[in-house]
Amino acid sequence: MHKLQTEVLVIGGGATGTGVVWDAALRGFKTILVERRDLTHGTTGRFHGLLHSGGRYAVKDPHGAEECIRENQILRKTHAHCIEDTSGFFVVTPEDEGDDYPEKFVAGCNAVGIPCSEIPVAEALRREPLLNPRISRVFEVPDGSADGFLAAHATVNAARVAGAQIMTYHEVDELIVEERSGERHVVGARVHNVVTGEHIVIYADIIVNAAGAWSGKLAAMAGAEVVILPSKGTMVAMNHRLVNTVINRCKMPSDGDILVPSHTVCIIGTTSVTVPNPEPLRIEPWEVQKMLDEGEKIVPGFSKARVLRAWAGVRPLFQETYTGGGRDVTRKLALLDHSQREGIKGFLTITGGKWTTFRLMAEATVDTICEHLGTQRPCTTATTPVPGAEQGNYWVGHRLHDVEEQRLQGDLICECELVTRTMLENAVQRNPALTLDDLRRDVRLGKGPCQGGFCTYRAVGILNEMESAGNWNHDMLDESADTMQWNAAHLQSPAHNLTRDVTAGNGKGHSAESPTVFNPNLLLRDFLQERWKGVTPVLWGRQLKQERLDELIYLSLMNIDHLPDDELASPVTDFYNFDTTPGPFEPEPKKVG
Amino acid sequence: MLDLVVIGAGLSGLMAAYTAAQSGLTVRVINKGLGSMHWGAGTVDVLGYAPDAPEKPVQHPFTALANLVVQYPDHPYGLLSSDEIRAGLASFVALTEEIGLPYRGSAESDQNLFLPSPAGAARPVYLAPEAQSAGDLSRSEPMLIVGFKGMRDFFPDLIVQNLAKQGHQARSAFLPLSLVTDRIDANTVHLAEALDDLERRTRLGHELKKLVKIGERIGLPAILGMNDHSVVIADLERLSGVPVFEIPTLPPSVPGIRLYKALRSRLLELGVRIEAGMEVVSAEMTARHNGTPGSIQSVISATSARPYKHRAHNYLLATGGILGGGFNSDHTGHVWETIFDLPLTVPQDRSMWFASGFLSPTGHPIFHGGVVVNDVFQPVDGGKLIFSNLWVAGNILANADPILERSLEGSAIVTGIAAGKAIANL
Ligand SMILES: Cc1cc2nc3c(=O)[nH]c(=O)nc-3n(C[C@H](O)[C@H](O)[C@H](O)COP(=O)(O)OP(=O)(O)OC[C@H]3O[C@@H](n4cnc5c(N)ncnc54)[C@H](O)[C@@H]3O)c2cc1C
Repeated sequence: MHKLQTEVLVIGGGATGTGVVWDAALRGFKTILVERRDLTHGTTGRFHGLLHSGGRYAVKDPHGAEECIRENQILRKTHAHCIEDTSGFFVVTPEDEGDDYPEKFVAGCNAVGIPCSEIPVAEALRREPLLNPRISRVFEVPDGSADGFLAAHATVNAARVAGAQIMTYHEVDELIVEERSGERHVVGARVHNVVTGEHIVIYADIIVNAAGAWSGKLAAMAGAEVVILPSKGTMVAMNHRLVNTVINRCKMPSDGDILVPSHTVCIIGTTSVTVPNPEPLRIEPWEVQKMLDEGEKIVPGFSKARVLRAWAGVRPLFQETYTGGGRDVTRKLALLDHSQREGIKGFLTITGGKWTTFRLMAEATVDTICEHLGTQRPCTTATTPVPGAEQGNYWVGHRLHDVEEQRLQGDLICECELVTRTMLENAVQRNPALTLDDLRRDVRLGKGPCQGGFCTYRAVGILNEMESAGNWNHDMLDESADTMQWNAAHLQSPAHNLTRDVTAGNGKGHSAESPTVFNPNLLLRDFLQERWKGVTPVLWGRQLKQERLDELIYLSLMNIDHLPDDELASPVTDFYNFDTTPGPFEPEPKKVG
Repeated sequence: MLDLVVIGAGLSGLMAAYTAAQSGLTVRVINKGLGSMHWGAGTVDVLGYAPDAPEKPVQHPFTALANLVVQYPDHPYGLLSSDEIRAGLASFVALTEEIGLPYRGSAESDQNLFLPSPAGAARPVYLAPEAQSAGDLSRSEPMLIVGFKGMRDFFPDLIVQNLAKQGHQARSAFLPLSLVTDRIDANTVHLAEALDDLERRTRLGHELKKLVKIGERIGLPAILGMNDHSVVIADLERLSGVPVFEIPTLPPSVPGIRLYKALRSRLLELGVRIEAGMEVVSAEMTARHNGTPGSIQSVISATSARPYKHRAHNYLLATGGILGGGFNSDHTGHVWETIFDLPLTVPQDRSMWFASGFLSPTGHPIFHGGVVVNDVFQPVDGGKLIFSNLWVAGNILANADPILERSLEGSAIVTGIAAGKAIANL
């Protein structure tokens, strides 16, 4: 069994965990991050994509609003390339009229320093022609659209450059608790590699539980109590960018009242329903209906537009059970110091918060780590841009521009999202990738209208050739190797990937002893099922026709349901196989509390 | 006034138009997009997997068909006798001879061929274009699968590895794509057109000769010529000295497009115009009333300029269901036939549309539903004729999932011919 020793061990590869590993590494701590699947497997890969200005919380939660606007301004610099500067409107639709919310909203924004100006309805309609013409007032705030996949990669890349070690597909099974002079100390974690099955023990001076909705489970491994009420939120992606600005309803926050433009689509969300477990998450027909109904109020005709996909994430709502009181419990983000709460040393839990505030959460966490380790090291993340930020803000036309300027049409393997062959090849060589789903997160493969119809086969063909030639970098499976760059930022641009990167990748000709997860037939089945999982809750009209065409290709033409190796499974096969087909329509359950 | 307007230019619509025109009827075909021929393998599947045994392929389709119609009497094949089905397929084969694009079956006629798919699976196929038939996996010569470096839609290693796992002898080799084309954005159609050029295909032939070993056969992506296809194959076989065959690629399907073009020219000779890129959006019709069926007066197409009325004595709907765009659906679970609003057997409830996995062996119920017809292919509602002058053929028919059972082209051909005959025999 392998043993590793570190100062800080971070559990969870979502926004929070990646933020902590970045901050800790910048402050010079020897740090390891473990994540049981790919980065952003949890809520961070399933969120709404809004870089909050704070406007949403201006009335209800001024403290949270203030955190948002501060972090908003910081992330625009540190993570510039992960953010599209869309701006945001708060609109008063006919349904929202009749109270003084707009006045409270403006006062709330002013109080915490959120730039907010009322603009004429005519101007708003000129900028967003599909917006409901019956809106009566519009306020503009600095909302943005955020790419959580790219940001997590960029953040761990920054951490890696500062010396941190990132281990995906490594799951914590147990925390090691020792009695030392009558005190309980968490001294390490037993981890296993979910691909190879190899067991590793990681000893650490301090362990940070950033497992999101799973953090209650992790805390229990240390004998601590963290009560999380997982609250599911469903989002629906439309096939087009119906708007280019984030549109919020100007009213008390509730379901389906935000429409966020994101890359080539726009996303409406969300619902909120308490669920027993963070996964799997079923999407109920009433949730889809509610998103379409609410969408209609923002953009008339919304429910007749082509719908692409639906997914759900879970908010890890922290419920305080500890009655001792303490300075570490802020209202929205919860930093729990278990040495104070339960006398368990060397163990912190950081949960709650928002994507927008992940950097701040990390800062608070590492400040506490410094206290515990008896050292003073200032936080520098707020002023240290991550690799890729030099590219400036994201803009939606960048790939098309590259493809046309460099004449790369013949190189496109995903025509919907404009992914070239070399982008994919470089992704596989420089970044850890086990499944096509991982590559989807890296380069947006299969995210467009055909939902993998064409690119699945092409990507599998290409990966299979790379695997046969020993060019599929498997170093991710070996925790001591460090050729993984975690550099998705430089995979986004077709023009930056004109040639295959031959320095990366190991070319060891490893195909003989390669684990079976690198089997092309498994890759095909897994990814087609993964795409199916997200379309079935919203499959009708043109998208249904598209799905039938995908059947024609993969059944009639390819006959992939009769390929060899149908017994193989990957660590995520079960996750994809979960039944997401719509059930009978049941009305929305009454909210409790 | 025309005798027949056919809506849809897939295999069923074209075969119906051909059958009717050959009997002397005046026919027009109206078509919105591209028929599924443009997307598929260009082969004719009659029955590849029986619904009750989806794991193992059908070896003898006519034996399996006989069982199928006993088990599922409502299946579209059940509308025809096995002799009618054989005769329909035979007349398709004869037609392909006539148009210079001959289709071949197995030597033993009641036998499926097994041909390599672009993923290297064995596809159960009843008839294949001559160019694909040397890929027959029951033949013993080892295969050399040749691809082109940089081509996006064909992956020899994948094919070879999967064929090897199934016990077939195969190896792969690559040639530069520049041998075929200098275009940087070439799709399969461009590549096929490039090989119509004598110089290019000669160069390719010489390169193949260098790669191949005695006793092998060569599999190439299905881009071996568009208009001069049979000459291209003959040249490559002569220059390489071994049998050469095509393996289908990702769409656009060159074999499918060749067939479409050849059928279209034959129809033109028979005086049948195909109005491509024209969508029928509505119809003038009277509804069924007091025991008398309704009737269609015209169908109205939308072009960029203005609506246009097409009048005929009879109408044939071959719009191919969900795949062809003949059915539409919405988030309320409503599924409807877009032109005449014909009743459908599709469940009008989204919770009943899908089985849980993409590759569910039972298929998805929504793709199993369609229009119910009587024994002369006229749509009925509770056994009663809906319109006196409307016929229906192809994948719009109820009670089969032709993609799941691999009967897509076979059932389109035989039901198209049968409906065409029924109209001609009026
Ligand atoms: C529906 C919805 C919409 C949202 N929209 C927005 C928005 O628009 N803007 C915004 O700012 N915020 C938004 N949020 C909030 C934001 O998404 C979350 O606050 C944030 O993503 C939480 O990140 P995290 O890292 O704490 O948790 P997660 O992303 O869930 O990360 C936890 C990780 O821990 C891993 N893990 C669990 N157990 C183990 C183990 N045993 N071993 C190793 N790893 C383990 C999991 O796999 C997971 O990847 C939204 C939240 C929801 C639910």
